[in-house]
Amino acid sequence: MSAIDPDVYELILALADDEHLMGQRHTEWIGVAPFLEEDMAFASIGQDELGHAALLYELITDDIDEVALRRSAADYRSCWLVEEPCTDWADALIRHWLYDTAEELRWESLVSSSVSGLGDIARRALREEVYHRRHADALLDALLESGEAQQRLLKSLDRLLPLAVGLFEAPAGEAAALEAGVSDRPMESMMLQWQNAVDARFSTKAWTEVAPPDQQQRRIRSTHFERMYAEMREVILLDPTAVW
Amino acid sequence: MRIYEVFLKREGKQEFRHAGSLEAATAELAVVLARENYARRAEGELMWLVDRADIVTADAEFIAPNTDKPHRHNDGERVAARRKKKRKGS
Repeated sequence: MSAIDPDVYELILALADDEHLMGQRHTEWIGVAPFLEEDMAFASIGQDELGHAALLYELITDDIDEVALRRSAADYRSCWLVEEPCTDWADALIRHWLYDTAEELRWESLVSSSVSGLGDIARRALREEVYHRRHADALLDALLESGEAQQRLLKSLDRLLPLAVGLFEAPAGEAAALEAGVSDRPMESMMLQWQNAVDARFSTKAWTEVAPPDQQQRRIRSTHFERMYAEMREVILLDPTAVW
Repeated sequence: MRIYEVFLKREGKQEFRHAGSLEAATAELAVVLARENYARRAEGELMWLVDRADIVTADAEFIAPNTDKPHRHNDGERVAARRKKKRKGS
């Protein structure tokens, strides 16, 4: 693999890490989702995200396992939203909607990327995003109607909004990566469109009061990362030659 | 919650085939859940979902009160035997 520009590498790594960890978190619902059909559907969506992560990692490395799983914790560039445990179904569902709404904008910004292969990955992912979004919307449509479910969901929304805003924080070197044509717009510029979508779906939010966590350009990990990192690496550490 | 029967059609001239069933709160949820439960590996390219309550049914007492109906079956065995006998005789 030819040498890749470090700023381009960082940006693609951040996108890949978000997908990787989101997929990991979603698939944790296998076997414990509120009903059988959803159990399968939600984990399957997580598998789609893992698939996207693998495609992105392949753009920057010849050894996916090395980058996805053997890297040191400090080298991850995920946002904290995807590191959050979300063991309550309302939290998981709200995050699903918030993340996929943002992700759609993100893939759109990559369709005409200068990075060979990235545009194709983005177009492929966008076709799957249609389904992810429809799934999240169908559940919200059904659940936001009733009292208790509505209350729980709106509470989750308030709790997760600051983390979700952190999704739009770019890694260092984004300007240079944009200069190289990786993406057609900065991450932060997608936020307004996303906020409008949140306002339209729920109710108008006082965005100036929503303070994202201090992720320091995605260089530091949230307190939940360590345990997740250990779980993700369980198999590869047990058997480095394992094939999956 | 309602129960939906799921039918899938592969490409080409193949007919829709019953893939299974699922429970869902709304028709829209039935569609998105059926997609992941029955077609996530591209098992088909078209899907029908039918609310089980909308299916017109008939029971066994009406459809097949008697199962022993040899007079309705003809496997051609006797005719074949007669023709064979005739060929040999000529």
